[in-house]
Amino acid sequence: MNNQLREEYKLLVEGQLPWSQTKNLMSSYKDRDRFFKILEIYQDKVEWDEKILLPIGEHLFIVQKGNQRIVKCTCGHEFGDYRKNWKFQSALLVRDKVEDLESIYPHSDVCDPSWMEIREFICPGCGTLLEIEACSPGYPITFDFCPDLEGFYSEWLNHPL
Amino acid sequence: MKTARPVVAGIDAGGTMTDTILVDEFGTFTIGKAATTPQLESIGFLESAIEASDYRGIAIEDMFASVEVVLYTGTGMLNVLLSRTGRNIGLITNKGIEDMVLMGRGLQSWGDYSYADRLHAVTHHHPPPLVTRRNTHGVTGRMDHMGDEIIPLYEHEVEQAVNTLLDKEVDVICICFLFSQVNPSHEILAEGIARTILTRRKAKTELLCSHQVRPVIREQSRLNSLLIEAYATGGGRKQLKSIEKVARENGYRYGVQTLQSFGGLTSINHPNLHETMVSGPIGGVLGARYISQIIENDSLVVSDLGGTSFDMGIISKGQIRIDQEPLIGRFKLNLPLIAMDTIGAGAGMHVKVDPLTKKVSLGPESAGSEPGPICFDKGNLVPTICDCNAILGRLNPDYFLGGKVKLNVDLAYEKFRETCADILGVDNVYDVAEGMINMLDSEAGVALRRMLSAQGIHPSEYTLLSYGGSGPLHLGGYSRGIGFKDIITFQFAAAFSAFGCTTADFQKRFSRSVHLDIPLDASFMDLQETVLTINNIWGDLKNKALEQMVSEGHTADQIGFQPFLLMRYTGQLEDVEVYSPIDTINSANELNRVIATFRNIYKNINRSVSDYGQTSVSVMEMGMIASVEKIKPRLKKSKLGKSKPEKRAYKGHREVYFNSKWEKTQLWEMDEILPGNEIRGPAIIEHPATTLVIHPGDEVFMDEWSMLHYRHQE
Repeated sequence: MNNQLREEYKLLVEGQLPWSQTKNLMSSYKDRDRFFKILEIYQDKVEWDEKILLPIGEHLFIVQKGNQRIVKCTCGHEFGDYRKNWKFQSALLVRDKVEDLESIYPHSDVCDPSWMEIREFICPGCGTLLEIEACSPGYPITFDFCPDLEGFYSEWLNHPL
Repeated sequence: MKTARPVVAGIDAGGTMTDTILVDEFGTFTIGKAATTPQLESIGFLESAIEASDYRGIAIEDMFASVEVVLYTGTGMLNVLLSRTGRNIGLITNKGIEDMVLMGRGLQSWGDYSYADRLHAVTHHHPPPLVTRRNTHGVTGRMDHMGDEIIPLYEHEVEQAVNTLLDKEVDVICICFLFSQVNPSHEILAEGIARTILTRRKAKTELLCSHQVRPVIREQSRLNSLLIEAYATGGGRKQLKSIEKVARENGYRYGVQTLQSFGGLTSINHPNLHETMVSGPIGGVLGARYISQIIENDSLVVSDLGGTSFDMGIISKGQIRIDQEPLIGRFKLNLPLIAMDTIGAGAGMHVKVDPLTKKVSLGPESAGSEPGPICFDKGNLVPTICDCNAILGRLNPDYFLGGKVKLNVDLAYEKFRETCADILGVDNVYDVAEGMINMLDSEAGVALRRMLSAQGIHPSEYTLLSYGGSGPLHLGGYSRGIGFKDIITFQFAAAFSAFGCTTADFQKRFSRSVHLDIPLDASFMDLQETVLTINNIWGDLKNKALEQMVSEGHTADQIGFQPFLLMRYTGQLEDVEVYSPIDTINSANELNRVIATFRNIYKNINRSVSDYGQTSVSVMEMGMIASVEKIKPRLKKSKLGKSKPEKRAYKGHREVYFNSKWEKTQLWEMDEILPGNEIRGPAIIEHPATTLVIHPGDEVFMDEWSMLHYRHQE
């Protein structure tokens, strides 16, 4: 990957790429190995050595650790096997009172907490907000994504896992 | 002839090249070309003017001292708008519609996209707003669509808004209220309040009201027109002033003129300068109108193939289509613009092959003038259509822009092989290059057919005009098989748009929205009342036009007036522009004459089968065009000579790739071809600014006006 391309993808990953360039990327053909180029950039950004297999959020990755595949945060905090919902291992803040909701929507109307609550899933390692759910109270915590890693690598990427 | 003095200089700055055309009193042209310099347009302007003077063999100072009209159409304002480098503006509008700027119109989020991007909603993106939400203030007050006051204007809220905006040091305050085109009294009141505050605070802030800039129906478009006038014209005027300065420094004695988007010339001090924002491409249509009188066919299709876009337009039975609500810089404006269809297709267009699917595609990006195609050897490594032409021998590597740019054909070949032919797995690079050119030709051809069939037009009645720097290069390809009555191109094809601009007259156009229904069974009294309303409005507009024309130095007796109306059959959604056959309407009978004119024009545009017969009509907008004639170029008529060109026109031959084989192709010098000459393909006629490719079997004939007629093989 040449330096110019690396810089462009780095900005893309960081959400800093100007719209005109982002639009150009969207409208033009994808390079065959775009996925691995993006992985390379993520791998450079994190300070740990486990190999990233798949990004599953802005800060979360499925990585290969020994013979295990686990979910790991950018900061290094580990959430365990990727086939189990990582949210159960995170710190959870539930906004189910008017004042809690108003603190994030100041000077604005907020929802009725008896109808909807906001759940914030936070990394216990670095305090980063990883995911949000807005749902009715009592609704089970959702498992966003349990990818078929083997299938994805062998059938889509034509690459050994 | 060479000693004749030039009288008109037309300069057209396009996206890629700036063209200058010098016209002398005998109607002879010389053309100059230079790269457009968007940062400071006067640089490209001067270079291009110098080149045109050089070809004429006179010094730049002598040229400027001699010409009576310098006419410049540029991209300055559009660039200010696109690069978002305009002024800081504040907006006062009705309470409740403050978000109109942010919400915009849906189609503004994809309006200028390629077909593929339009389909993929993920790429849709609203243009960044010209005024921030924080600088938008809603004030209480409301007018309804009939112009009746529903809620009085809360003056203290206007005061508060003006003071806040002044505290924020905005450059311009815009005032736009709902339905101000029917009743502007709230805008006038708010303007008065603002002006008092400005005086009290000794602020230099400018004030603009929507009823002054464009009192025309459709709120979003009126607001956009107002905001663009406030935002972009400052920088645009600066560019125009710098052009005028350069012209004056070199001996020009008058003011520089520019072109309004509906086709009229105006001084660069024109108050609503956003009306001149898009004027380059329409020059071609004006030129075509002029040519139509010479060739005695008032039905023409124009096609302009440049470096980045392919623009098409139609003149049907002398009627030029006007688009009343075009999309410019991704904003809908209610600005009358000569209607042109555009597709992204040009000689500078990138050609690409998807390594994954091997799909071949053109554009949408283009190499522009910097760095240009690969063969310019200025650093671009993505092949373009121009490179394909160079590889196939269709462009003369030593005579591009008259030899100013040496084409590096080997480099173009190498890169094209690497990024296109190899990926496709085709060994013969030339076949691939020809395929790319065929793709461009067929895209342009399909776009022409689409436009023709959308208008219900049969090409056999129409003459195709082809121009633009790359028009003659691809003409043979894109016009093939459509069946036009005649196909014409010009020695000065590269500067035809600039030439067209020089055929325009000084004009001002004023209009106002109305809503006058004229039912079939209208009583005599009703008709009399309508007549009175029409005359009153025309009277007002005429005074306004007269005042502005006189302020620009024209005398009242020079000015001609043409009243017009936008009419439709009651209940339809689109208007037809009707030039009134009479200056004032004095009776119900005369009103019927105007209605009959409308019916005729409607039939001409939409074909006779579309006639509505016995239906009521509505007048939606009324206007007045004031014009003063300007000196125009004249095409020179010569006697037809023999069909064989002079020896001195022959430049030798070159191997050129046509239909998958190399053909020994004759080369001719464009300026040495004479009326009566006939050249049979395969042949190439070269000109410093353009190249005419004649495919094997096809033929080109030069008529007595020095126009080149392209005839396809039967």
